[in-house]
Amino acid sequence: MRLKIILILSVLSGALLAWNLHSMFMDVPDELNQGAVFRIIYFHVPAAMTSFTGFYLGMFAGIGYLVKKDLRFDSIAAAINEVSLAFATVTLITGSIWGRMIWGIWWAWDPRITSYFVCWLIYTGYLMLRRAIDEPTTRARLSAVLSIFGAVDILIVWKSIEWWRTQHPGPVLEIRGGGGMAPGMEAPLWWNALALVMLATVLVLIRSRQQSMQREIDSLRRYAHAF
Amino acid sequence: MTSNYTFMFYGFLAAWMVVIIYVIWIALRERKLRDELDRVKRMVEERESEPRK
Amino acid sequence: MKFLRQVFAITAKDLRSEVRSKDTVNASLSFALVILLLFSFAFDPSSDQIREIAGGLLWLVFAFAGTLILNRSFARELVNDCLDALIASPVSGAQLYLGKCIANYALLLIVETVCLPVFAVFYNVRLPRSLVLLFVVMLLGTWGITVIGTLFSAMTVNLRLRELMLPTLIYPMLIPALMGAIQLSTVLIAGDPVGADNEIWFRVLVAFDLIFTILAVGLVEIVLVG
Repeated sequence: MRLKIILILSVLSGALLAWNLHSMFMDVPDELNQGAVFRIIYFHVPAAMTSFTGFYLGMFAGIGYLVKKDLRFDSIAAAINEVSLAFATVTLITGSIWGRMIWGIWWAWDPRITSYFVCWLIYTGYLMLRRAIDEPTTRARLSAVLSIFGAVDILIVWKSIEWWRTQHPGPVLEIRGGGGMAPGMEAPLWWNALALVMLATVLVLIRSRQQSMQREIDSLRRYAHAF
Repeated sequence: MTSNYTFMFYGFLAAWMVVIIYVIWIALRERKLRDELDRVKRMVEERESEPRK
Repeated sequence: MKFLRQVFAITAKDLRSEVRSKDTVNASLSFALVILLLFSFAFDPSSDQIREIAGGLLWLVFAFAGTLILNRSFARELVNDCLDALIASPVSGAQLYLGKCIANYALLLIVETVCLPVFAVFYNVRLPRSLVLLFVVMLLGTWGITVIGTLFSAMTVNLRLRELMLPTLIYPMLIPALMGAIQLSTVLIAGDPVGADNEIWFRVLVAFDLIFTILAVGLVEIVLVG
């Protein structure tokens, strides 16, 4: 059953991504000021959206573990946060490349980028914490607490950095421009978001099963050595 | 606008590379986990079938 | 009332052991002085530029030196299974946590109060007349650092790489509090009045302190016991 879901979702997301690539290049015209490179937004924004959704779902999975004490929640939480971190990396890298083209700089300390980078750092810490704890229940417990703190902090960090940076105006940066994009251009973005969410789900399903498998291996090994 | 296309290409490439590398890493891990699981299961069977001392 | 009495019992225990050994505060102070020295190589201490980054420098020093104190907080209980004894005692996790928080808060404030004049001397910064407000900022900001730091100290106490994990985990989380403290400190040290647009940072600091104190007290039992 699970395997079937994984297969169907991967095929669907693959097809959707391929179709999107086509529509991105064929149907959507080049943007006025940015030229062709603006198409990076079709991966940059969906990846960001997927990662944020993931981090919050990861927090709920962590809370689920704390409430139910079922280690399956922990597997899911770990998998979601890890996959979201991967998508967050994609967001940062694509954003940086886009920035290089548009603003001429690889990095800028504007509110959005900075708070996103902080978010990335928090969840890298999450993975490091998991790596440092061997005992499964302790690991589940502590990483769940960390993910709660992290998710709450993301909001506060976001708001704070926004206030900070608007007081110190940096280089002029407005990623989205005025009212958003022309309707004809916006469609591939949402389709891509759907595709990336499906891809993320596939990866989470596979990864969480791997987490459970790893736990089974650890416990079997302990059992074997007990003889 | 050719430089534009170059950057776009790099951008796409970067995005896809991260995802592809991650997927490959997951696949490799899957194989490693399966092998280890088989090995440990065999170890448990061996130990269980050994006569108790 | 019994709740508070037990909290202060823990605080008194920690402070007493620190007063007798003085190792953590000394280490923290020395570290702070070393950082002040290092920063003098990064920036030209005599320039006017210092005025702009004074708040930032100060709070970076406080944050780095504070990590030593926070790390020790639960690490000192590992010897002789003291931590297990504390957890098993009738004191609740929240009481243990708050007691240690207040003790760390006091120690960190001591370190900061010593650092402030040293900083003023090293970097030729005239301390403002609005010292009271600066102290209020220190009180608010330090509580933020203490609250998060003590909880994460409890979290990382049993890990192999405790000294590495604690800074890695807490600094991203502390960014809002540090930003507020830095911004306000810079403005106050420069002698300017706190304008309307900087007032928001007071609110950020208070909100940060409140939210994370409540969250930490709520979750600390899970972290300590399970």
